[in-house]
Amino acid sequence: MAGINQYIILSCILFGLGTIGFLTRRNALILFMSVELMLNSINLMLVAFSATRADMAGQVMVLFIFAVAAAEVAVGLAILICLFKHMKSVDLNKFNLLKW
Amino acid sequence: MDYYFIIFAIMAVGAAIFTITVRDALPSALGLLTVFIALSALYLHLHAPLIAIFQVSIYAGAILVLVVFVIMLLITPDEQLGSPQKNISYRSMGAILGAYLIALLIIGMKGINQIVSRKGLPDGFGHPSLVGELFFKHYLLHFEMASVLLLVALIAAIYLAKKKL
Repeated sequence: MAGINQYIILSCILFGLGTIGFLTRRNALILFMSVELMLNSINLMLVAFSATRADMAGQVMVLFIFAVAAAEVAVGLAILICLFKHMKSVDLNKFNLLKW
Repeated sequence: MDYYFIIFAIMAVGAAIFTITVRDALPSALGLLTVFIALSALYLHLHAPLIAIFQVSIYAGAILVLVVFVIMLLITPDEQLGSPQKNISYRSMGAILGAYLIALLIIGMKGINQIVSRKGLPDGFGHPSLVGELFFKHYLLHFEMASVLLLVALIAAIYLAKKKL
């Protein structure tokens, strides 16, 4: 049985990298990929806890997260295509219609 | 030390850094693909073969292909990709990815059970049939809700992509 600490650390690093990417990049597509990275780090932690506690429910939850991620990407990318039709750009700094 | 974990953890972290720092979207997607492959190898290490397979087939196979298609649709003339053969990042990422896929295949043929000890785990832990049993006995309502969610997302995506807003 692999130690769980190393998996928790790896998961935290990946989640942090995803957060950094989400907050610093201005390309909407890379923002999506950062969100995927964060979801994947959570999946890793769920599977690690599942193996440590010998409880299969963690793996079932990961499969639900797969479904949610698929739905999120499908709708998000459709919205992105709509935005691109309007603004001819995926740069988030140009979407400032509602900016105060 | 646990070499299997270290190799794939370094691969995942390196590819994640590449994903969030590279300028263009397509190399970024390639980096994300590398993260997914590395994580699927780690799922094998954690006695979750079904999750590992779904990681490759759903994330790397379906979601990432969708992202790459959208990148293809959204390329504007001033950010053309150029000739991919000349781009060193494409080449190096492709080479790393290929090498790790070969490593995964070798591990798969060797049998993951020789690398990972099953000490302290019940018999058959992580077997896909147990996941299916949980799905259709304890989490049936949640399963149906997930399918409804996917159906709604499908309809919404078609509506958004078709309609002239």
